[in-house]
Amino acid sequence: MPYSDTFKDHLANPRNAGELSDANTVAEETNPVCGDRLRLSLRLSNDRIEAVRFLAYGCPPTLACGSAIAEMIEGMRIDDATKLTRNQIVDAVGGLSSRKQHAASLAIETLQSALAKHASTHR
Amino acid sequence: MLRCVGAFGSCQRPVCGDGELQIVMRIYLDHSATTPIDERVLEAMLPFLRDKFGNASSVHQFGQDARAAIDLARRKVASLINARPNEIVFTSGGTEANNLALRGICEAVQKYGRHLIVSAIEHPSVKGVVDYLEKQGWSITRLPVYEHGIIRLADVSAALRADTVLISVMMANNEIGTIQPVGDIGALVRTERDRGRKQLWFHTDAVQAAGRLPIDVEAIGCDLMTLSAHKIYAPKGTGALFIRRGVRLMPQQIGGHQERERRAGTESVANIVAFGAAAELAGAEMAQRNQHTSELRDRFESKVQSRIDDIVFNGERDLRLAHVSNISFRFIEGEGLLIHLDMQGVAVSTGSACSSGTLEPSPVIKALGRDEELARGAIRFSFGKDNTEADVDYAVEALVRAVASLREISPLARDMESVPSA
Repeated sequence: MPYSDTFKDHLANPRNAGELSDANTVAEETNPVCGDRLRLSLRLSNDRIEAVRFLAYGCPPTLACGSAIAEMIEGMRIDDATKLTRNQIVDAVGGLSSRKQHAASLAIETLQSALAKHASTHR
Repeated sequence: MLRCVGAFGSCQRPVCGDGELQIVMRIYLDHSATTPIDERVLEAMLPFLRDKFGNASSVHQFGQDARAAIDLARRKVASLINARPNEIVFTSGGTEANNLALRGICEAVQKYGRHLIVSAIEHPSVKGVVDYLEKQGWSITRLPVYEHGIIRLADVSAALRADTVLISVMMANNEIGTIQPVGDIGALVRTERDRGRKQLWFHTDAVQAAGRLPIDVEAIGCDLMTLSAHKIYAPKGTGALFIRRGVRLMPQQIGGHQERERRAGTESVANIVAFGAAAELAGAEMAQRNQHTSELRDRFESKVQSRIDDIVFNGERDLRLAHVSNISFRFIEGEGLLIHLDMQGVAVSTGSACSSGTLEPSPVIKALGRDEELARGAIRFSFGKDNTEADVDYAVEALVRAVASLREISPLARDMESVPSA
C-alpha cells in the first residue's frame, strides 16, 4: 500500500513538532520490538489540551502518526482525547497497511501515558 | 520554478500546491538496484521483439536467426569475464543463477561433504539458499567482514574443514560496494587442489562487480560466477552463471534441452541479445564509466561531509566499487530519509526494513559492527554513467534539507543537544 499524499504531507510538514518548555506532562514510549520512539509534551489546562508538541524517531509511519496525533489533540477536551482510537490516527494519516498500524498504536499509547501521568499527579 | 535537467530530463513532476506549478528534478541514484536501459542496448534488442521472434530451438530460419543471436550474445558475455562461451548459462537473473550455483553444486557433490563457507554479507539470493541448506542439515561457516566490510583470507583458511565442498564469497557487496579478495580465495583453492584436495569448489556472486571491475575468471580461479544484465544497462529478466568446463551441477530447472541441459526453458532471446550488447559496452566503456562515477561519488561525499554532521561512511573507502557511497546518519532512520529524498525527486535505497513492528536493520551494516542506530540510519547512494555534477549538487541540497528536517523532530537529536559538552 503506497503512502498517501496526506501521509507525505505530515512527513514534509510535521505539525506541532518540538517540545513545550512549559509542559505539565511529558511521555515517551518506545516500541520494544523495533525501537521506534514517540515523545509527547502537553500543556493541560481547564480539562483541555491547550498545547502539544511531538518528537519522533523511527519509520515513516511513526513520524506521520506523531504529527497527526499532535495536530488532532491540540485544543481537544481531555475526556475526548482519552477516547481516541488507533483507527482515528490511521485515518488521519490517510490510511496505513496493517503491517504499519503499530505506529498508530504507539501514538495512542504515548498519549494515554501522558494523560495518565498528569492524572496521577493532579488528583 | 526549478528546471528539470536531471538524468531523466523528460520527467516533470508537479509537487507544489500553492498555485504555482513547481517542477523538480528527478534524480536516480540507485544504480546498484537497477540501471536504465542504454539506448544502444534497446536498439540491439528491439528486432527480437518484432520480426526476429523465433524460438532458438526451432530448426527453421526464424529459429536459426534467434540461435545465432544468442550465440553471439554468449560470446560477448563470456568475453566480459574472459570465459569460454560454452561456460556461460543464461538464466532469468542473478537470483536464479545463485540458486543454480549453490543448490546445483551442493546437490551434485554432497557425497563428498556438507560444509559451506560464505561471507556474512552475501546478497539475499545467496543467503536465502544457504539458510535453506542449513535447514537441510548442511553446516555453514559465515565469515566476519570486520569494520571495513571485507573478509580476511586467514579466516577462509581457518574455516576449511575436511568436509568443506564449497566456498561462496561475493566479488563486491551490493550495499556498501566493498571488494572482496576473490583472487586470493581462488589461489587458496588452487593450493588446496595441488595438495590433493579435489572436492572443493569456489563460487562468487559478481552481480555488482561485472561491468564495473575488470574480471578474468582464469586469474580468479573460480568455478562458478553469477552475473546479471540489469545492473549494466540492460533489461531486468536475464542473468548468467559461469560454470567452469568440467564442473558438474544438478540442474534446478528441468524439462528441456536448452543451455546444454543445465537450464531448461525457452530462451528470452531479446533479453539475452540485450545482455550481450550491454556486456560489450560495459567492457569497452568500463574505465571511463568508473572514472566518471568515482568523480561524482567523491564530489558527493566531499560535499556531504562538509555540510552534515554526525555521519559515518560505511565500508572500506579505498577498496570499493567506484559508484557506491553508503552513509549512516545519526539520530534518524533510513526509510524516513529515503521518503524525504523521494519527495524531492531523489531516488536512493536503504537496507533496513520495517514490517509489523519488527525492524530488520541492514544485516550488512550490522556485520560491520555498527550499533542499531547507525544500522537503521544507513542509506546507499549509487551513481550511474548518465548522472551529472548537477544531479550530485541537487541531491546534496535535498539531503541537507531532509536530514535537518528529520533531526528537527528526532528525540535522539534533541537529547544529544541537551547533553552539556565536556
